[in-house]
Amino acid sequence: MLQRLLIILLLLGPLAAYSQVRTVTGTIVSAKEKEPLPGATIVVKGSTKGTVSGPDGSFRLEVTDPAATTLVISYIGMVPQEVPVSTTPLRIELQASGKNLDEYVVIAYGTAKKSSYTGSVSQIKSDELVDRQVSSVSKALQGLAAGVQSASQSGQPGTDASIRIRGVGSINASADPLYVVDGVPYGGNLSAINPFDIESISVLKDAASSALYGSRGANGVIIITTKKGKVKGSRIDARVSQGFSKRAVKNYETVGTDDYFQMYWRAMFNTQLANNRDSLTAARNASAGLVDELGINPYGSKYPQPVGTDGKLVAGAVPLWNDDWDKAMQRTGHRTEANLSISGATDNTRYFISGGYLDDQGIYLGSGFKRYNVRSNIDIDARKWLKVGLNLSAAHSDQQAPPSEDSRSDNYINYGRLMGPMYPIYVRDPNTGAYKLDANGKRVFDYGDYRPDPANPRTNLVQTSGIDRHDTIRDDVSARVYAEATLWKGLKFKTSYSADYSNRQAHDYTNPTLGFDAEVGGTVSKGSFKYFSWTFNNILTYETTFNEKHHLNLLAGQEAYKSTYSFEVGNKSGFSVPGLDEPAGAALISNFDGYRDSYALTSYLGRAEYDYLGKYFFSASLRGDRSSRFAPGKNLGTFWSLGASWKATEEDFLKNSSWLNLLTLRASYGGQGNDNLGATRYYNYLPLFVVNSNLGQGGTYRNALYNPDLKWETNLNLNAGVDFSMFDNRFGGTVEFFIRKSKDLLFSRPKPPSIGYPTIDENIGALKNTGVELTLNAVPVRTKDFSWQVSLNMTHYKNKITELPQAEIISGTKKLMVGRSIYDFYIREWAGVDPKTGTALWHYTNKDGSISDTSNYSAATQYYSGSSLPDVYGGLTNTFNYKGFSLSFLIVYSLGGKVLDNDYTFLMGTGSAGGRAWSKEMLNAWTPSNRNTDVPQLTTVTNNFTANSTRFLYDASYARLKSVNLSYNLPKSLMEKAHLNNITVYVQGENLFTLYNHKGMDPEQTVGGTTYYRYPAVKSVSAGINLSF
Amino acid sequence: MKKNSRLLFAIITTVALTACSKDFVNTRPTNAVPDDQVFNTIDNAETAINGTWAYMFDTYFTFAVPGYKSIHLTSDAMGSDVALTTSYGFRDAYTFIEMVDNTKNRVSAYWTLLYKVIDNCNLFLSKIDNVPGDDAKRKYLKGQALTLRANSYLTLASFYQFGVNTNGNTKTAPIYLEPSNPGTQGKSKSTLIQLYQQTISDLETAIPLLGQYDRPATMKYKIDVHVAQGLLARAYLYSGQYAKATTPAVAARDGYPLMGSDDYNKGFNDISNQEWIWGQAQTPTQNVAASNFNFLDVSTPVAYYKSFKADPWFRGYFESSDVRTRLFEVSHAGHMLYKKFRFRDPGAMVADLVLMRSAEMYLIEAEAYARSGNAGKAKDALNALRTARNASPYNGNGSVTDTILLERRKELWGEGFSLSDILRTGGTVVRKPFVNFQGKDSIIPVPFPDGTIDSVHVIGHRTLALPDKSPFKPFSNYYLFSIPLSELQNNPNINN
Repeated sequence: MLQRLLIILLLLGPLAAYSQVRTVTGTIVSAKEKEPLPGATIVVKGSTKGTVSGPDGSFRLEVTDPAATTLVISYIGMVPQEVPVSTTPLRIELQASGKNLDEYVVIAYGTAKKSSYTGSVSQIKSDELVDRQVSSVSKALQGLAAGVQSASQSGQPGTDASIRIRGVGSINASADPLYVVDGVPYGGNLSAINPFDIESISVLKDAASSALYGSRGANGVIIITTKKGKVKGSRIDARVSQGFSKRAVKNYETVGTDDYFQMYWRAMFNTQLANNRDSLTAARNASAGLVDELGINPYGSKYPQPVGTDGKLVAGAVPLWNDDWDKAMQRTGHRTEANLSISGATDNTRYFISGGYLDDQGIYLGSGFKRYNVRSNIDIDARKWLKVGLNLSAAHSDQQAPPSEDSRSDNYINYGRLMGPMYPIYVRDPNTGAYKLDANGKRVFDYGDYRPDPANPRTNLVQTSGIDRHDTIRDDVSARVYAEATLWKGLKFKTSYSADYSNRQAHDYTNPTLGFDAEVGGTVSKGSFKYFSWTFNNILTYETTFNEKHHLNLLAGQEAYKSTYSFEVGNKSGFSVPGLDEPAGAALISNFDGYRDSYALTSYLGRAEYDYLGKYFFSASLRGDRSSRFAPGKNLGTFWSLGASWKATEEDFLKNSSWLNLLTLRASYGGQGNDNLGATRYYNYLPLFVVNSNLGQGGTYRNALYNPDLKWETNLNLNAGVDFSMFDNRFGGTVEFFIRKSKDLLFSRPKPPSIGYPTIDENIGALKNTGVELTLNAVPVRTKDFSWQVSLNMTHYKNKITELPQAEIISGTKKLMVGRSIYDFYIREWAGVDPKTGTALWHYTNKDGSISDTSNYSAATQYYSGSSLPDVYGGLTNTFNYKGFSLSFLIVYSLGGKVLDNDYTFLMGTGSAGGRAWSKEMLNAWTPSNRNTDVPQLTTVTNNFTANSTRFLYDASYARLKSVNLSYNLPKSLMEKAHLNNITVYVQGENLFTLYNHKGMDPEQTVGGTTYYRYPAVKSVSAGINLSF
Repeated sequence: MKKNSRLLFAIITTVALTACSKDFVNTRPTNAVPDDQVFNTIDNAETAINGTWAYMFDTYFTFAVPGYKSIHLTSDAMGSDVALTTSYGFRDAYTFIEMVDNTKNRVSAYWTLLYKVIDNCNLFLSKIDNVPGDDAKRKYLKGQALTLRANSYLTLASFYQFGVNTNGNTKTAPIYLEPSNPGTQGKSKSTLIQLYQQTISDLETAIPLLGQYDRPATMKYKIDVHVAQGLLARAYLYSGQYAKATTPAVAARDGYPLMGSDDYNKGFNDISNQEWIWGQAQTPTQNVAASNFNFLDVSTPVAYYKSFKADPWFRGYFESSDVRTRLFEVSHAGHMLYKKFRFRDPGAMVADLVLMRSAEMYLIEAEAYARSGNAGKAKDALNALRTARNASPYNGNGSVTDTILLERRKELWGEGFSLSDILRTGGTVVRKPFVNFQGKDSIIPVPFPDGTIDSVHVIGHRTLALPDKSPFKPFSNYYLFSIPLSELQNNPNINN
């Protein structure tokens, strides 16, 4: 491109001097997206003469000054460019100068200019998403937008991250934001959306932006907008990438066979002492019983008692094997992704058609995700006054998702982690350790029927993970169809119908011959879960400017929404012959169930936006929803917002500021709702009996108290913010302050269980989230060839309970009290180990308020022990461009807050679960010669030493190199020969480096700060190529 | 014109949708029914009894708390004769750190379950009189609801307090007789004696109502007059009204002769057993309650946990001729297996659950006579059972009451009477190490079915003292089921 310009300059430069009036024409596009930039200014350098590019980015400028040689092309948020005056049509590509401050953002039922919008919106553009090695777009949001808290608890490919916007405004109702795709609430799976198809993601955070979504907007709204054709002609983009993945952080360190045997000897010895044996007898019994208790002697028959009465391995005893089951359950994952799109426009049609393929293999055996996508977005100008459009997308995905968020013993993550190292993966000769081979010379898997229960006897997931199935097959189809008619000047009517259909088929199968379910002849469960939702809306908009000063934009509309959920699921067991994995092959029906449920909303909505001279902006919105989730008479809710902004840089006294490019102050206030008590509790306003049965006879019973007065939970949001940009837009940002109050909480109010029902749903209680968000963008270096852009965001918020129906409510590891946060841990406080006895101690508060220690866990006092909420979290992006090279990396961080690591407690058992792996920390257990320790003495008797307490409460702070991307754009000269627009090659890394405190546990856990044996995060490296022609 | 028609279309659409909006949001569940559809006929009302019963037995609170029947397992885990392993399930109840801790799931599960049954019975009793339909059926349904409520109150009286002799006037648990509504406040605890009085009064009201009801032989889960009589016998015995206990005990077992010795070895899994008066059957599609066998069944490979191993000393209470002795086996790993409970259909993981059988009624009768001074009749009742088990008859050696209490442990092992017997009699848990005369672990040569003889290190109790390291003793608070923290927190009246 540059070369071509230079040639033009050389050829036309001399000619230009002789012309009197030269007409310059051309098109201005963005360098990265190659999209037209409407509204860019083209000025003759050193003069005030110029023009503005049109909607398609084209311009025409007559240059009358014969001396003029240079044009300055500028666009807010882009690096200005100077080009020579020429009469050959120009194509000018502008580079972005960091975060774009004057972009248009997608908002509820429309778009708005970010610099003057009254509400709070963060926008994430496609280029921040497209290179990411994630299978669900929700996982790409972390660290990119202030106020958005994302927790990717699971590394299972195809799972979603949980997103919280500006804290949690609810105690029992859902805290998930509303997802909107192409203008309409989305009822499909997030993982069905191909990130490649996404143009932008808007996060609506305050009332002014989200109140128009009424009863579903309280937790914020995430609007995903897919790509459309823009540029005349057609363009083909292809992307292919290949990569590899491994566990992001190391597993907990565990002890080897030698340590294990000596530790277990100690545990048995201590138990004998506790049962009043003398120490000689105790030692003898421990040495004699050790191999029996653990079920195996990895030292061979030469050493029938491998641990002597001194508690040490006898001389010469060497383990014949020392297997790492955790490693055996893992592999290097392999990832392939390919996407192709064709987009473009003709005179009255714009189109975007794409297809995608993803194969994301998990790092644990038997896990992975495959997805096939197609999409077609078409807009047609059918008449001068009529536009119609259809977005159609379909996705099929096949996820292999073995149990990984469950305490069951076949949890694939726990299985390897918790297996003691003395149990061989393959059958060994007990005397030599040599592998036993089958007739084909292959190793034979060891199912360990000798293993004690905690080591899962008669199983070997390393083998059966390849035979069993845990499949989730999803089919998603989404359609968005609309027609928009211009009825009068500025008066438009848009009607649209949108539907999302999603079918999830769950197919779980355990084989009849090997492993967990061999005794029942294998099991199979197959279920089909269907979700269908549609939205029909009719919107009138009117936009006008009068007296050239007053700009008015009105919207009024009506909407109906219905979603229906239906499922059937059946379980069978007892396969007649091996090799079949469908229900047809099994003999015995053990379960069949299914039902259907619907949720419906009808709504009216309106919005008015007014601005005066482009300086003062006002907005107001109103929505009324009638919902099926509440009783008639209580089911109508009204939600509203008011907002204002002042674009100070439009004032005369700032307009010509040499350094300040933008200063906008804005504020909004309003109320949104939340009606989402969860799918199983839609009807708690009715006096319902649950239907069940007993031995074929119909049954009903009352399982909950009903409350006919249930209504919406209301969020009242106050937002105040400043947007600024200065020094040629090289430094800018946004500071926002918010107070999010929720009241009439949909609350499961505790009742004394003796009345039969431990809770009743009521609208009581209030919460407050107060916070500050900061986003800064800077371009510290910008030269012709090199630029460095930095973008930082940080969020701090506090959560406070402001009203409760009673003084305190304990729920799980938390206690709710007015003035405290819903994230405050309330657990027993670890007081270490009694140096005299080696038993665990906890604190308890005496009647006089003094604090003592107790070894009786149930008598220990529960205390507030810190919060799971981080003090500050966010992301930092750095991008370096040098000629065709671009390097960018995103660091996400979360500082402060605590996490209660229950996964670790399994490895910290005192010895009652013989055969289960032990953490290295357990090596420091109390003994008479090691009295000052934090690890209690070993014993085979069950106890409370690992029960919930501050012992397992860790600092949750972390910083993670979330993504790194190094790309190179091949030079234009090469491109043209190959008739290509662009070739980019890149290398991409995810989660390559993590700074964190508590080793073994992946630091990305739930917002609530608890762990649940989840699939850990993965790190990956991949390389790819993008072609555009 | 075109533009006008467009506008017209917009208006029509909007108006059309407005018109239907109220019905549009009127949705109804498909897996639940409003109460007025339950209490509209007698037949429909009966579903409320079935449903409450199914809830009681077939609800998992966790996999370690599979419904009501697991209360009985907890009771045995906290007694003297089960040497529980460290497998998942009842291990913390066994070491007395679970039921004493009011924050534990098991504690709140049992409390919630018993009171939810009580409220469903209260609701049923408050509605049934106004339901149109057959009066004969109304009568026995009422009897069933009263009996079911009595069963909950009897369970509360059995596990939440020591016996009436020492603690009769101690506040134990609240009594509710009216259905709850959103405004219902928690009540204060009633005394142990009041709980027994309520139980007995419910049962005495129920028995005449059930008099004409003849339940189908295959539906032993249905409450009939025998069930009510059996519960009444228990209630009189436990509350110290010994003279009154014998009559209902005899009435309850009428028609349910003691099983033969072969039946005793069939795994205690079949409701058709002639001796079973009350039980819950299970099927491949309804087997939550059967999952209690995952703990009880120590010999079927399919059982998950097999944690209810017997105390090796327990075997010593049996004579070799006793049919029950045949159930003992020492495993290679050294566990004393008492193979009383075995899955009936291992492939489907199905086994029926016993709730009441004639043997217990003989033992109630014997104990009631013994405690009211009629040693002769006590001996007769006891020996009727011992004879059926091919054990030598009691001949007057040793205290007859102690012999009966031991016979209860032997006969009813695993059926849920261990802890309640200790509580009501002021007894103590006894757990001795299984050692030889030198104080060393016992290593016993054991012949195995494959012909080999292996020296086995026999495993006994792993916990020999209370959590505070003190020895087991009568009236230890560790024995009692505690009231969950959520009750204490949300019921300001509980301790009034």
